[in-house]
Amino acid sequence: MAYRVKLQNFEGPLDLLLFLIKKNEVDIYDIPIALVTRQYLEYIKMMQQLDLDVASEFILMAATLIRIKVRMLLPKPEIEEEIDDFDPRRELVERLLEYKKYKEVAYELSRLETRQRLHFYRPENEAQLTQFEVQETAYGQVSLFDLLAAFNESIKRFENEPVHKVIASALSVDDQIVFIEELLTGRNQISFSELLQHVHIFNRSVLVATFLALLELIHRGAVLVKQKSPFSEILLFNPTINN
Amino acid sequence: MIMKSEQVVNIIEALLFVSEKPLSVTRFVSLLPEFKDKEIEAAIDRLGQIYDDRSLSIIKIAGGYQLATKPDYHQWVQRLFTARAKPRLSQAALETLSVIAYKQPVSRIEIEAIRGVNSDGVLGTLLERNLVSIRGRAETVGRPLLYGTTDEFLHYFGLNDLVELPRPEEIEAMLKKNEGEIQEDEADEKAETMTQDET
Repeated sequence: MAYRVKLQNFEGPLDLLLFLIKKNEVDIYDIPIALVTRQYLEYIKMMQQLDLDVASEFILMAATLIRIKVRMLLPKPEIEEEIDDFDPRRELVERLLEYKKYKEVAYELSRLETRQRLHFYRPENEAQLTQFEVQETAYGQVSLFDLLAAFNESIKRFENEPVHKVIASALSVDDQIVFIEELLTGRNQISFSELLQHVHIFNRSVLVATFLALLELIHRGAVLVKQKSPFSEILLFNPTINN
Repeated sequence: MIMKSEQVVNIIEALLFVSEKPLSVTRFVSLLPEFKDKEIEAAIDRLGQIYDDRSLSIIKIAGGYQLATKPDYHQWVQRLFTARAKPRLSQAALETLSVIAYKQPVSRIEIEAIRGVNSDGVLGTLLERNLVSIRGRAETVGRPLLYGTTDEFLHYFGLNDLVELPRPEEIEAMLKKNEGEIQEDEADEKAETMTQDET
């Protein structure tokens, strides 16, 4: 059973290949494909014998290795200059080197993690956090995508409500621009859902008009949108009030 | 009466003591209009010196300053906490974070192309731990989600800024330097497993 845990140490086929290159003490730029492929396949067989789920990525790499091996058996092109380009291993070597770079950074991060875990900071207290939230400037930027997602979330609530009356909407986008501006007059912020609460008694088209008005205001820079973390409440800020 | 410079040192100490998040110089400046920027910066330095022989230190982290206990007191402070410390990040998580840190904003497909393995699960964990966030969508086919690192990422690894991460040429140097050290240990360990298994 101890093997099981250790065998899973390889993060993926590239990790396993790097290990085999290291173990055989061969040059990464001149990988003996036949040898490495054989050992790679032995390893996969071993994984299967131990009833480990062999991820499809490992199988794909096995196929890639065999393809490279086959291509290396084909006669090389006559012209000298093409020999460099011809090496069927090149693409794989580039991937391995790229991966190795990030593996190295991961090691560096792990070192930083170890160091950082020796420090203790004031723990974040949820209750206090909400209390300070408004003054904190640590809001992340909200993309249009986030805003649309929030809008979709809100509009969903209307989907199941049977509509009985058809009223011609008297409220235009321009009306809603004024409405939002008035809401934000004299206050620092309002949440996106709070804004929609104000208009939800009306029909869907008013909601849409309000949303378009909001986009217009953001475009003009008259409203700032921020959020604390992904999927959290989106907040609209009045940029004229310094917070 | 306290001298003004001593006063600002104490005020900053009080703010740092209470704050759960790093406070930037900009933030201090906006909180303390009574003092000049230079006085504030000097006070932060002075406070750092005062803490030299104390158990706390002022750490420059995630773009600001924060009070933290020094590593030497780790074993004692640890006793305060009954709950087990958050688990360390897995190798998969660290690798994925490395790719995101350098390539951000980056899509899952690009991450998987580099790592050579499915990274769906690990991305979920990183989002949950707030170490990465969704930055939007790429303009390419399928409009995949793009990921980037967060302030929590900087905090978790004790970094003040992303530029503190090693640059590509430094990674090359690290590769050479580490060649003999860790990788060999790791290789030995794995080789052992394999030979044991082959027999």
